[in-house]
Formats: sequence, structure tokens, C-alpha cells
Amino acid sequence: MSVNLGQLAAVAVPAAVLIRLVTVAAAIVLGRRGAAARTIALTGSIVASVMTIAAAVHVLGGGGAVAGVLLHHAASGAVLTFSMTPLSAWFVMVFGVIAIPITVYSASYFPHAIPPARMAAVSAAFNVMLGAVEVVFVAADVLTFVFAWELMTLATAMLVASGHEERGNRRAGYLYLVMSHVGTGCLLAAFLILAAAAGSLSLPSLLAGHLVAGYTRTAVFLLFLVGFGVKAGLIPFHVWLPEAHPAAPSSISALMSAVLITAGLYGLVRVCAFGLGTPDVIWGVAFMGLGALSAILGVLYALTQGDLKRLLAYSTIENSGIVVLGLGAAMLALAYGRGGIATVAIAASLAHVLNHAAFKGLLFLGAGSVVMQTGTRRVEQFGGLLRRMPWTGSLFLVGALAIAGLPPLNGFVSEWLTFQALLLGFGATPGFVRLIHPLSAALLALTTALAAACFVRVAGICFLALPRSEAAAAAGEVPAAMWIPQAALALLCVALGLMPGVVLSALGAIVTSLPGLQPVPLVMWGSTGIASPARTFDHLVPATFAVALLAAVTVGALAARRRAVVRRVPAWGCGGVLSAQTQYTATAFSKPLLMIFRAVYRPTREVEALADVSPYYPQEVRYRSVIEPTFERYVYSPVLRAVLRVANGMKALQAGSLHAYLAYVLALGVLLLLWLGGSK
Amino acid sequence: MPMLPEVVRQGSFAVAQTVLLLAAAPLLKTAIKKMKARLQNRQGPPLLQGYYDLAKLFAKEPVRAETASWVFAAGPRVYFGAVIAATTLVPVLVPAAPLEAAGGILLLVGMLALARFALATAALDTGSAFGGMGASRDMTIAALAEPALMLGLFTSALAAGSLNMGGLVRSVLQRGLVLYPSDLLAFAGLFIIVIAETGRIPVDNPATHLELTMIHEAMVLEYAGPDLALVEWGSAVKELLYLTLLVDLFLPLGMAADAAPAALLTGLLAWALKVFLLAVGVTITETTNAKLRLFRVPELVSVSLGLAFLALAIRFL
Amino acid sequence: MVTGDLLILCAAGMLVSAFLMVGQKALVTAIRLYGLQSLLLGIVAAVIAMSERHHELLVTAAITVVLKALLIPWFLTRTIDRIGIRREVEPFLNVPTSLLICVGLTVVGYRVSTGFPEGAHGVSHHLIGVALSMLLIGLFLMVSRKKAITQIVALLTIENAVFLVAVGVTPGMPLVVEFGIAFDVIVAVLVLGVLVHRIVDRFESMDVSRLSKLKG
Repeated sequence: MSVNLGQLAAVAVPAAVLIRLVTVAAAIVLGRRGAAARTIALTGSIVASVMTIAAAVHVLGGGGAVAGVLLHHAASGAVLTFSMTPLSAWFVMVFGVIAIPITVYSASYFPHAIPPARMAAVSAAFNVMLGAVEVVFVAADVLTFVFAWELMTLATAMLVASGHEERGNRRAGYLYLVMSHVGTGCLLAAFLILAAAAGSLSLPSLLAGHLVAGYTRTAVFLLFLVGFGVKAGLIPFHVWLPEAHPAAPSSISALMSAVLITAGLYGLVRVCAFGLGTPDVIWGVAFMGLGALSAILGVLYALTQGDLKRLLAYSTIENSGIVVLGLGAAMLALAYGRGGIATVAIAASLAHVLNHAAFKGLLFLGAGSVVMQTGTRRVEQFGGLLRRMPWTGSLFLVGALAIAGLPPLNGFVSEWLTFQALLLGFGATPGFVRLIHPLSAALLALTTALAAACFVRVAGICFLALPRSEAAAAAGEVPAAMWIPQAALALLCVALGLMPGVVLSALGAIVTSLPGLQPVPLVMWGSTGIASPARTFDHLVPATFAVALLAAVTVGALAARRRAVVRRVPAWGCGGVLSAQTQYTATAFSKPLLMIFRAVYRPTREVEALADVSPYYPQEVRYRSVIEPTFERYVYSPVLRAVLRVANGMKALQAGSLHAYLAYVLALGVLLLLWLGGSK
Repeated sequence: MPMLPEVVRQGSFAVAQTVLLLAAAPLLKTAIKKMKARLQNRQGPPLLQGYYDLAKLFAKEPVRAETASWVFAAGPRVYFGAVIAATTLVPVLVPAAPLEAAGGILLLVGMLALARFALATAALDTGSAFGGMGASRDMTIAALAEPALMLGLFTSALAAGSLNMGGLVRSVLQRGLVLYPSDLLAFAGLFIIVIAETGRIPVDNPATHLELTMIHEAMVLEYAGPDLALVEWGSAVKELLYLTLLVDLFLPLGMAADAAPAALLTGLLAWALKVFLLAVGVTITETTNAKLRLFRVPELVSVSLGLAFLALAIRFL
Repeated sequence: MVTGDLLILCAAGMLVSAFLMVGQKALVTAIRLYGLQSLLLGIVAAVIAMSERHHELLVTAAITVVLKALLIPWFLTRTIDRIGIRREVEPFLNVPTSLLICVGLTVVGYRVSTGFPEGAHGVSHHLIGVALSMLLIGLFLMVSRKKAITQIVALLTIENAVFLVAVGVTPGMPLVVEFGIAFDVIVAVLVLGVLVHRIVDRFESMDVSRLSKLKG
């Protein structure tokens, strides 16, 4: 029977790609009939996702890698091959499990958000993007990988700029395209260097490690870091993320944050950590540094955002940083030959990839519902939405709990694993390098606490108390088809938090497939608990503790239960009337942190009091606080200015004169002939 | 899967410990108030005042704001539940915690973070600016205190070779009474954090209701009756929990070696004495310092962070 | 060999005509020189056809003579008459300098021809050398002259050069390729002729250096 399953799994991947192609073509053909195109495209997407998940589960369950050929073009001799290794299977599974609820949500969301003329194109592009990401994960040679990578970029850019009437969306799409292409260029260069050394284009042979050495190896590593780092949203390559994610329609933003990031992370894991031979110590330190920096800066910027989707985008940068932090710890452990610790660190990273996809998808879908119902993205205009949108609000609260890393939800589990990896790594690393572990642990603790503050702010300001605008007051609950996928994701968060062992046992197959990692028998990948390799170090059984928590809350509720009915009174307003205007604002909530971290933010502040009759009786007070866009101003602007300067300098060459151009051709031709011609 | 008698045994151990802490917490709070008053030449409340207050609050009619939703009611209950559940993770009388197999230091910190999250979110529910302000300030201070707390705990954990409270205490007991200089530094750092987390002067004033000076009190300003009772009780238990944590990490002597009544009594007395000494320390800190401006608190916390980091460096480099 | 000498003579004649094109300014003369060049090219093709018995080359030679030696010059002369311009304006470089540069380009062309395995010695050496030199001279002509008609003639010279190389080096020439090139040339000339009319209508001048107004 297992042979049949293996064959089925091998067929499933090309079949899924085929289904996507067919539905995309159908959607394009049905261009005018938006609803039909959408239904076909999205249904095809769900079917394809299910098929790839099935194949992934088979591989992770110990079925061994499945491989095959996607396309064989006889005329040009191009062969696109795929190979689903356990690592790829993990990412495919994460991707599929999150993509399905998002697709279901999109089915009801698109009619509200996308004009009918564009429906078919957007649905088709949606499908193309998902298919391209799947192929990226399972690509087995450079051609397939880069082709799928480009396709993914283009489809996403199209979706980001789909609302192209607005200048902001156009700019976001453009920025995304430019940065992605810089990244892809670096990737191509690195792949070609490796291919030249290996003499073949197949990924397994390129990533066997130790193909190149010395400076070439470092150069290749840096090129891959840039290429994948752009996609993963690592600082300092992150500037496109806060622009592009909010610009896209909300369910697309959910996919981008949850899934597209993982494409970059997959590259970092597969290539930088395991594809170039045993990592150097400096690589591990660099990854840990970049990861910690991304995490802390991501959450700091998220704290002060006034745009809900932009806030979530910065939070994605933060979580991406946490994954890279774990990856760096693994690389450092591998550099010192400690395979067991590296296993724990890789487990932490991969678990966080899954957990982040789950709760970020949930949060973005919730944000999408809220934005759809109120018509605005500004946090300061929300309020009181929990009463008007009870399901969306409650599910968003679950997501907020998860992303803040609070037990017993899934964010806590991956954070726990990361701390374990850092602490074990401290013990295993010799010399002063070991200090990076407690420093990273402290930064991680700070990040988590700041993330909790950020999401108290978001959840509290958006959903609680009084509505701050008419739009918020008029909002209603979204149709069930839109909050049910969110409920599914919330249930997933809870399940992953309570029973982490179920998912983590799948990591056993991955560990055996990656070089340098040692399976750690003492880690209890049981169904409900996880334990650290060192016997007395720490264990975690969230399910037991959730029971204790529930019991304690019940005791409290019972103790506080009164037979008398709760009396409802107006809240104390210091003698005046409480209104929406006197409530605490989101800006005020994060002001203390803004002041404390002003070295990072460098805020500028303008207060303007406009008075009619006398300056002592102002009619209106305007307050404006601007956070300095540090990376845009100090990193990117100088580079852009230098490039433009060089381009302007070269404008002199473009004299507009036909003769000049011909003279260039003649001169170059003569030079080339002189150099290449003549007898050998 | 543990056997049913085992489950019952562990469960009753957890319940017994929780009841002990619940019973002792109001006494601790009132004792600190009384000592502070005495130092300020006042009489102070009777020692059982904490219990009288809780009884009074539980008997009152529940009153809630019109603008509040279910989150407002859930806040105190989750706060109380999380703190109580966290008490099962620390050893009190015996060198083992009831639910230590379920989690260690990280879960403890996570539970307290959950409690804080619930209370802060609920504080934003009434639409009153006090709640927002209190939540904002409290989350800020907590965020700043987290890294120092983690570093301090990790120093002890790495020295003891275990992140699990039970294992940590047992290994410290095995090591015997050896005082490392890093222990003193770590203790100083963690003491500052305990002050910050429990909202005592110089970080926050638990006895004030002026909006410029409240942090924790502002968060819970809108609660009345049983809701307020849960919050007050929860904070008292949290304070006792932090002090017990300090005792466990640095001076776990005198713990009962077995379940014999005499040993348990000795353990109880030892624990009470140590907590009392720490409470005296807290009182003296509160009485001899003035409350810091909000934007001075990061400086204090960074001192604590520096101490913890120094402890780590000295111990391991 | 007689054929060899004849071939080298014709090739030399083509090169001389290219030089003469550079050396004088009357447009009509340039077109007539082009016609002469194409005639010589046809003779080369015919000689090769008969000596190596590639009879399809005879057809090619005939097409070349009719098309390039007769039709195209007639068409271009008619265009000039229509527009009414007889002389080239001052070129960028004066005649002596241009001729010196052409000599240099000829040296380059001959040097490159030594790099071809076929062209290292013998008749092919001269054929390839002349062809490459003509190519470079044609390109230089495009660079240094301003009138659009001269540019067209230079382009056609380049095309002749390419054809010479192809005929001289490869045995025979597929008819399809020749038809392709011929068609290409016809279209180019027609389009350029029309374009020249349009340029003159629009800018009142055939001076392509006026196009420098369109620049970045």
C-alpha cells in the first residue's frame, strides 16, 4: 500500500499544478463573468492545495521524498523537475493549511473589495501566485526555481497594484517589483556561480555543500542572504513590506504575510543554513544579529503605526526576525558541531513559521473584515467594534493573544522552543561568542513584551469602548462565510498551542534529511508535550496547564458570582460626559514607548492651535507627530541618489544624435574585431 | 498517561498549595502596609484588614460601565485564574512544584504576561481615559522589565542547569549554601524587577489615585465589587508569588524533605520567615525612596538589566 | 588563375568604389558608384558560379544585377530628383581625414580576415578582407554624413559587403537566404525612401543631425 501512496504523492504535485493552470485559463477565458471566474479559480485553488497537503503529509509521515518531472519541453530540451523533500513538505503543508481558509474567505471577500471588471484577473493572479509558491518549495533545479520565483513576484506585484487608481498602490507595487528584482538578480548570480562550480543545474547537486570555498563561498552566501532576505522582509531589506502588504486586498495581504514570507525563509533555511556546507561561526552570528534586529525594530515600528494593515505588516517583519534568530542559533550550533542543539533551534524556527502563518493569517483576515465594514484602515477611527462585530472581534482577540506569545496558544510554544535553543546554545558555545545567546534572549523577551503591548493597543483601541467615528458606529458583522475561516485559523492556533507535539513529531523526518543535524531522542515529541534535550532542563505540557488555568478561572468566576443582577451605570467621566473624544487614543497609548525609544524613532512633533477670536480660546488644535523613516532616509536615499547621479552622468552619452550612436557602434565594432579577430 | 491516583495526588497537591498562597496573600499585603505605617509613625490597619476588605468586596453588588463588553468582565477572571494557575509552578514548602512537569520558568513568566494582557485589554473597555493611561503605562513598564527579568532568571537557571523551578530548587539545595558573587548581583537585579512588576514605590504607588501618579491603580479604577475583589486578591497573590520566586532562586533552605507534618511545618515557618524578611526589604525600599517619574523608570530598569548581565558575565566568563 | 585574378580585380573595384563614395560629395555620383559596386558584385557571383559550377549562384547574380545595379539606383535617383537636392552638406570630417580613416579601416578588415580559417590566404583572403573593409567603411559613412540618402546608400554598401563575404566564403548560397536578403533590402529602401520624404516634409531638411532634438 505504501508504494501506491508514494506514487499518488508523486502524481499529486504535477496534478495540482495542472489543476491550477486549467482554472487560471478558465478564469481568463471567462473574463467578463467575474463571479464564475472567481468561483472556478478559487475552487481549483482549494483542490490543488488539498492535493499538495496530502503529498506533504505523506512525505512528512515518513514516506520519503517524492520527485518527478513537471514539464519536459522537447524542442528546447528544458526539463522542469520537482522534488519534495521533508523540508519542502513542511513548508508546503504550512502553506496549504493556511491558504485554504484564506481562499474560502476570499471567495466572499472579493465581491466587496474588487471591481467586477477586475475580478477574473485578480482571481487568476491569486491562483498563479499560490501555484508559483508551491513550485518554489518543490523545485529541484535552478530553472524551475527561478521561473517559479519570478512568476510569484509578478503575480504578487499584479495583486498589490490591482487597486491602481490610487497612487500609493502603484508606488507600492513598483517598489515591490524593484526590490524583488534586485533580490532575484542576486539569487541568479549566486546560483550561476554554484552551477559553474558544479557543472549542473539541479538543486541537490548545487546545494550539496563545499562546492566553493573561501571568498567565493562568502560572496555566494551574501548574495543568497540578500536575495532571500528581501523576500523574507529582513531588515534592512524590508522597506517594500510595509508599503506592499497594506496596498493589496486584505486576503492577499494575509497570504503575503503568512506565506510569501515563508518562500524567503525557505530559501534561507535550505540554502544558507544547509546548502553551502557547514556554516561559519560568523554566519550564525550574522543571522542571529539580523534576526534580533528585525524582531526588535519590527515591533517598535508596529507599535506606532496608525494604519492597521501597516501595523500587521511590521509585525510580520518582527516574526520573520524571530524565525531567522532561531535559524542563526542553529547555524552557530552547527558551526561548533553541536547537532542536537541545532535540531532544537531548527525546530523552533520551523514551528514559528507554522505558528506565525496561522495567527498572522487570522489577524489579517480580521483586519480585512474590519476595513471592509468601516471603509477605513486607520486605527484611530475604530472603536466599539466588538459589540458590532462580535465574531470578528473575538477571533481577533484570540489572534492577538497568540501573536503576543501568551500561553496556552501557539505563539508561546515556538517562543519557548527558541528560548530553549538559545539557552542550550549558551552552554555549548565556547568563548565570548556565547554572549550573543543571552543578549538575543533578552532582546527576544523585550520583543515579545512589546508585541503584547502592541496588540493590547490594537485589540483595545479597535474593538473596545466607544466608536471613534461614524464609520465604526455603522459597522456590522461580516457574513458567516467570512468569519468561519477565521474561526478555523483560531482553532488551529489553539490546537497547536495545546498539542504542540503532534506537529513537532513531523519535524523528526525533516531532521534526518538535513545534514549536520542529530535527532535528539530525549526530546519528547509526544503528542502533547515537548521537552528539552538535557534531562532536567525544561518540559512543557500546555494541555495540562490549560486545564489548570481553566479550573482557576472557573474558581474565580464562581467566587465572584452574585445572585444579584449586574448594575449598568455610565462610566465616571470626572463630572463630565464620557464621549468617544475623551477616550484614550492609539497614539497616546504608545506615546510612553515612543518617548523611551526615541533614539530609534527620532520623532518630530508639531502642535498648532488655531484660534478665531483670541489665542486663549483655540477653536482647533492640530497635533502632528512624525517618525523618521530611518532606513528610507539614511540607507536607501543615498543609494538611490548615487545611482541617479551616475545615470545622469551617463545621459551625456545619449546625445540624441544618430551619428553619435552610429559612431559608438563603429568604434565598438572595430575594437571587438581587433581584439577577437586576427589569426590565432 | 499518569495513573488516576497519581493525577489525584498531583491535583490535591496543587490545590493545597494554591489554597495556602491564596490564604497568605492578603496577610502579606496588609503586613507591608502596617510596617510602612509604623515606619511613618502611624498605626496602620489591623493585620486582618486584607481579609475584611475582600469579604466586603465580594458581598457588594456588581457594578459595570454601560460601555463595557464581556471583555471587561473576563479581565479580572482571567487575571485571577492566570496568577493562581502560575502558583502551581513554584515550589513553596517542598522542593518540588505541583505542576512542574507541565512547565517551568518560561511558562510562569508567560502566565503572568497573560494576566497582565487580560487586565490591560479590559482596562480599555470602559472608554475612560484612566483605563487607557494605566494600561499604556503598565504595558510599557512590563515590556522594559521583561528582558531584565529573563536575564536574571536565566542566570540562575543556567547556573543550576535547569529552567524548571522544581529542578532548579533541587539542584541549588544539592549544591549547598555556596554564595557566589553573581548571586548577589542577580538578586539585586531581580529585586528591582519585583518592585517594578508588583507596582511598588519607586516605580508605582499602590496607595494613590491621582492620575499623574497611578499605573496599576489606573488600570483597575473602574472595577467594583466582586470584580475588584478578584483583582485585588490576584495582585496580592502575584506579589507573594514573586517573593516566593526570589526565595526559591536564592535561598531555598529549610524546605521540607518529605511529607511528614513536622517537616512541612518547618518548611512553612522557614518560608514565612524568608518572605517576611523580603517584605521588610520591600517596605524599607518603599519608605526610603520617592516615586520616580514615569520616564525615569527605564533608567532604573536598565540598572537592573546591567546587574543581571554582569551576574551572567561573572558567573560564566 | 584567371578566375582568381578576375575575382580579385572585381573585389578591388568594389573597394575603390567605396573609397570614392567617401571621397566626393555629389549624391548622384554616390548612387552611381553604388550601382557600379553592385554590378561588380554580380560579376563576382557569376564568376564563382561558373568556376565552381554552383549554377544557382547565376540566378543570384542576375537578381543582384537587376535589383541592386539597376532598380535601386534608379529609385534613389528619382527620389533625389523629387526632393531636388544634389549635394551633400558639409560632413563632420573633411575628405582627407575621412580617407585616412578609411585606409585604417581597410587595414583592420584585412587583419580580421586572417582570422578566418578560409581567409588566411588566396582569393578568399582578399574577398573577405575587401568585404569587411567595405562593411566598416559603410558604417563610417553612416557616421560621418548627414543626409539621409547617403545613409541609405551606406546601408546598402554594408549589405553588399555581407553578400560578398557569404558568396566568397561559403560554397553556394541557398536561394531562400538570397530572397530573404533581397526582400529585406527592397523593403528597407522603400521604407527609407518614404521616410526621407516624410522627414523633408516635416523638418524641411534631410539633415538627420536635426534628430538630436529628440534626446533624454
